[in-house]
Amino acid sequence: MAGRKITVVISQAPGKNPVKRHLEEEIATRLMLSGTAEVSVVPHLYDLTADHTGMLWLKSLRGNLVVLGWLYPRAIRWVLDRNGVKGKEGESRLNRIEDADADDQEHPQEEVAASRGIGAIDVPNRLIYAIDLRNDGDPEVYIKEIERLADLVSVPLVQLGFGGGLQLPVLPGNGPATNGTATAHGANGNGTPDHSHNGDTGSVISGIFSNGNSNGTNGHAESPSLPMTSPAVIGGGDVRRRWYPVIDYSRCTNCMECIDFCLFGVYGVDHSDRILVEEQDNCKKGCPACSRVCPVNAIIFPEHKTPGIAGAEGGPVEDFKIDLSKLFGAPSALEMAVLERDQELVADGRDAVGAAVGLPKRQTCQNEKTRDDLDDLMDGLDSLDL
Amino acid sequence: MSEPLVFMMGKFEARIPVDRMYFESHFWAVPHGDALRVGFTAYAVRLLQDVYFLDWQIDPDTQVRKKQTIGEIESSKAVSTMYAPADGRVIQFNEALLNDPSLINADNYDKGWLYEFSTTQPLLSPDEYVKVLEAGWEQTQRLLKNQFNE
Repeated sequence: MAGRKITVVISQAPGKNPVKRHLEEEIATRLMLSGTAEVSVVPHLYDLTADHTGMLWLKSLRGNLVVLGWLYPRAIRWVLDRNGVKGKEGESRLNRIEDADADDQEHPQEEVAASRGIGAIDVPNRLIYAIDLRNDGDPEVYIKEIERLADLVSVPLVQLGFGGGLQLPVLPGNGPATNGTATAHGANGNGTPDHSHNGDTGSVISGIFSNGNSNGTNGHAESPSLPMTSPAVIGGGDVRRRWYPVIDYSRCTNCMECIDFCLFGVYGVDHSDRILVEEQDNCKKGCPACSRVCPVNAIIFPEHKTPGIAGAEGGPVEDFKIDLSKLFGAPSALEMAVLERDQELVADGRDAVGAAVGLPKRQTCQNEKTRDDLDDLMDGLDSLDL
Repeated sequence: MSEPLVFMMGKFEARIPVDRMYFESHFWAVPHGDALRVGFTAYAVRLLQDVYFLDWQIDPDTQVRKKQTIGEIESSKAVSTMYAPADGRVIQFNEALLNDPSLINADNYDKGWLYEFSTTQPLLSPDEYVKVLEAGWEQTQRLLKNQFNE
C-alpha cells in the first residue's frame, strides 16, 4: 500500500457510454476507499477550454500526477502541456503492454524524446503519468498500477515549492473563474464529499473526496466513514466537443511546415518563435491534414480514427508496422492532406488550392543527408525488433 | 531469356524481370489465358518482408475501380490495404496463398501470384516501372522514416 497518496485525475469519456462511466466510477471509488489517492474527475480532457473549471483545476495541482483518460498517453500529455499542466513524462506499465520485461520501465523517457524535438519548455520537476483507459476494462488493473505508482513516488524524488498541499480552487461552476491559481479551500484535510453528484450533472466543483491532506504531510488520512460515491465532475455538465491539433514538442523540430500548410489560421508562434497551436477552434472538424504533412509526426489529433494520428505510440502491433498502403496504390499522405484541405476550403465557400499552396519546402527538400539516413534505415530494416 | 533489370534499394537488389508488364503500385502482370496474373514485385516484397496474413475483401469476379480497396495484407514489418491497380475486373484469387501466404516471399514472380485480373488500361514496361521506382525512391524512404520516427 502506498506510503502516501498520489493525485489522480480521471478524464471522462466524451458522451455517456455507461460502460466507460462505470469504469471511471469504479476506479475513482475504489481508489478513494483504499485511501491510495486523491481523486478528482474532469470532463473529457481534450474538450476542455483553457478557462474551463476542470482545466483550471488541473493547473492548480502540484506534485506528481496521474491522469487517466480515453486518449493515447501522448495525447493526454501534450494536451496538458498546451494548457500549462506541465511535468516530466512518467512511464506507466500500462502503456507498455507489448514488452513485458518491466525492469527499465520506470525511467522517464523525456531525455530520449527531447533529443529529437525542440522539447517542452518550463517543465517543472515533477512526473505526470498519462494512462489510457482503453488499455483494459478491468478497474483492478488501474488500481494496482496506481498503487504501484503511489509507492514509487512515495520516495520523495523532488520537493516542489508551494508547500505541497493539494488545494481546491474555489471556482464557480463553468464560469471563467480565477486565472488558474488555486485558492485555498477544502484543503484542510477534512474532505467534503459531495453526495449530490451523479457523475454527469455536477455543475460546481463541490468536491473531490479528500480523506485527509494530500501530499505527504498528513498522517491524518482516515478511512472514510461516509458512504462513497464517485467524485463530482469538476466543471461538469455538457462540454462542447472540440477538434484541434496538439503538438508533441518532443518530436516537433519547429520546421513550420504546418503553419505554411494550414490555411485556417490555427497555428502561430510564441514570443520565442516556437510553433504554437494558437487558435485551436479555427481548426476544421475532422481534418487532420497538417498532421499528415508534418515530417516528424509531431501533430496529434487525439480523436482521429488512425492511431498514428491520434497519438498512438504503443498499443496494437499494427501501430508499430509500416503502413505501405500508399505504395500499393492509396493516395499519398500529401495528396490526402491536400484533398482534405480542399474539402474544407470548399465547405467554407473558398476556392480549392490543390498542392499549390503551403508545400514548397516539402517539394524541394530532396537533400542528400536525408537520403543517407533513410538509406541506412532501409538497410537496417532487418535489425528492427518489431 | 533476358536478364532482369535491377533496382537498388539501398544495398538490396530488387530484380525486375523483363518478361512481363507492371503497374506503378508495384505489381507485375503477366498474361494467363484471357487475363493477367498479378503479383507483388521484388520491390514490394522487400518492403513487406515476411507475409503473415492476406485477406481479400471482395468476391472473385468483381468489377473494380482503380484504387478501390480490395484486401488487406500484414507482414512482419508492415501492414497495408490492397487497392485495385487499375480499372478492371478481379477474376479470381490465388487460393494457395490463403493457406500459405509465405509463397509471396518464396516465389513472388511465379507461384506467389495474387489474383487474376483483366483490364483495358495501359500497363508499364519494365523500363518504365524502373523509372517509377527511381522517381519514387525518395518518397518511399520518407514514408518509412515518417512512420518509424527513429
